Amino acid sequence: MRKGLIAAGIAVLVAAAFVTAGLAKTEVLAAPAKTEVLAAPAKTCDVSVGLAVPATGPAASIGQEQLHWAEFSLAAFNAAHKTKYKMVVGDTQLPNVAAAIGVARQFASNKKIVGVVGPAGSQEVQAFGPSMRSTAYVSMSATRDDLTNGQRPTFFRVVGSDDTQGAVDARYAIRTLKADKVVVINDGSSYSVGLAARFANVAHILGASVDLDEITQQETDFSALATKIESDVDLVFLPWQLATQAQTFAQQMKAKGKNAIIFGSDGLFTSDFAIEGAYVSAFARDIHGVKGTAALIKAYEKKYGKFGTFGPPTYVAMQVVLDAIDRACQAGAATRKSVLAQVKKTNLKKTILGQGIRFDANGDVEGGVFFIYRIASGKYQLVFPTK
Amino acid sequence: MDWTKFFSVLIDGIQLGSVYALIALGYTMVYGILKLLNFAHGDIYMIGAFIGFGVLTFFGGPLSPDLPLAPLLILMFAIAMIGSGFLGVAVERFAYRPLRNAPRIAPLISALGVAFFLENSALLLFGSQYRQYNGFELIGTGGFYIGSVKITWITVLVVSSAASLMVALILLVSRTKLGKAMRATSFDQEAAAMMGIDVDRVIVATFFIGSALAGAAGVMAGLAYSSIFHFMGFTAGLKGFAAAVVGGIGSIPGAMAGGLLIGLAESFTTGYMNGTWKDAVTFSILVLIMLFRPTGLFGKPEIKKV
Repeated sequence: MRKGLIAAGIAVLVAAAFVTAGLAKTEVLAAPAKTEVLAAPAKTCDVSVGLAVPATGPAASIGQEQLHWAEFSLAAFNAAHKTKYKMVVGDTQLPNVAAAIGVARQFASNKKIVGVVGPAGSQEVQAFGPSMRSTAYVSMSATRDDLTNGQRPTFFRVVGSDDTQGAVDARYAIRTLKADKVVVINDGSSYSVGLAARFANVAHILGASVDLDEITQQETDFSALATKIESDVDLVFLPWQLATQAQTFAQQMKAKGKNAIIFGSDGLFTSDFAIEGAYVSAFARDIHGVKGTAALIKAYEKKYGKFGTFGPPTYVAMQVVLDAIDRACQAGAATRKSVLAQVKKTNLKKTILGQGIRFDANGDVEGGVFFIYRIASGKYQLVFPTK
Repeated sequence: MDWTKFFSVLIDGIQLGSVYALIALGYTMVYGILKLLNFAHGDIYMIGAFIGFGVLTFFGGPLSPDLPLAPLLILMFAIAMIGSGFLGVAVERFAYRPLRNAPRIAPLISALGVAFFLENSALLLFGSQYRQYNGFELIGTGGFYIGSVKITWITVLVVSSAASLMVALILLVSRTKLGKAMRATSFDQEAAAMMGIDVDRVIVATFFIGSALAGAAGVMAGLAYSSIFHFMGFTAGLKGFAAAVVGGIGSIPGAMAGGLLIGLAESFTTGYMNGTWKDAVTFSILVLIMLFRPTGLFGKPEIKKV
């Protein structure tokens, strides 16, 4: 019996070694840290920025990019202004709202944090609200339209809202792609439900036949859903947050011989979603085409490698918060109250996104726009706007 | 009536049901022998999926595998089944055996503890991000048609593997010495021991076989549904448990039928209603069967001598 047990133990270890060896070949993230101080203490205005991103979890590919651009932005700001502001990272593990609430509470109880960049997801913004009553929090990717309905006076975002995204996507799908019959599937998240409704509404007004369906973010089997999509459907709109889900769904559609166009929202603009011929919208343009960004892109890519559209808005959101902290600091003291007042006064004339940043009374960025890309030969081609 | 859609949904349901049936078999085998609800079983299925993924990645991943498809799949299944089997044996040895004569609530609590231990160990070891088997890249999106209904090669692989394993299990239980010992132990542990059966060895074998089947189900789920993550065993384990109970816990044909029934219920709910209703429908079936046939579809009422 003892020999059997020893054999069992050895076999388990061998299997574990196989798994570990195999997984080691993939990009394994470090174990999630609750909070992590990344820079040395500053001499004056010893304050920090909280960064809320999904550093691990199913949306980690987005979160890692956002984390890298936030680090990059902080380093650039400190170097340019000879400051020593610090950053505290909270892993929100999108779509794990409980983790987001935990991060918000940690930030609220850390008196050194006077402003927050993030969180990334719309449901996370809702979860942050109660803990951020006196702290400015600037999201780089939360687009649900009613986040800026006046109920969150400390919330700001540097990207456009889903009111715009839903309308832009629907107009492109119906008018340009000539889709007459459309299926809209939301993933149950607050971001997805709102965006799906906006898209469906505009598509319906433009004369398309629209069917609605729903999944959950825990779903992995889409085969019956793919079967359900009728063969005469022209386009399936997926306003989803988890690109891995969309990739599986699209593959299962393809396997079943369904040829409807897949059109994803900004949540799918990551390398995890790579369906040839699919369309995805994005809240920021590919900054490679923005004037004056070449040196910055080169410096970033040298340190971190390639990136998508989720990173640059994080750079700008960090810039907004650091700029507000610095102005508050120069005026006397950087407190949560003074930083909030300065964020409201933000007026960045030019950013790497190719547009300036000012906020309206509800925290929405003025002049927020959306872009549409087509995936061709594994690359994103900008198809809207064409100029 | 759109019959193409009907039969496509039916095939989707059989594929999903095959995975649930394999999980349910582990529940039912352990319950049959020990009268224990092994709530860690769903997490052994999760570990099996990760072992299969580890093997796949070790040999180059789905996009550029270093091995031809057939040997790669055989290795994935074999190593996942062996790894999961031995994990099941270890769980039995350290979490259940010391409690064999304790009140029945004790091993149940221990099983829940093991389930959380495995989930959180996977979280620490592998992280919380979803891993992609990319089964359609590995095996392709091809298949064949029966009329206008397409059956993919992945479906063929999943259903045929599951059916083969179930047939092998039935043969093992009905025609081998070990199977006879398992049936005897299930019937009366004490009497079996008095007849010279090594009950401990039979229990170890039962855990090994049940867990190996869960490991195979984990690989099948990865190939068919692509995404695997540390918490995937929780829901799948509950569905497997529901399938075992619906079929009549302790009954091997019952676990198979229950798995297929749950898979079909989910598939038809998604195909004809809304996917968000599928869990409600699945567990409503469980409640209804418990109300009208408490022993499950294939279960037999326990005879008590007075």
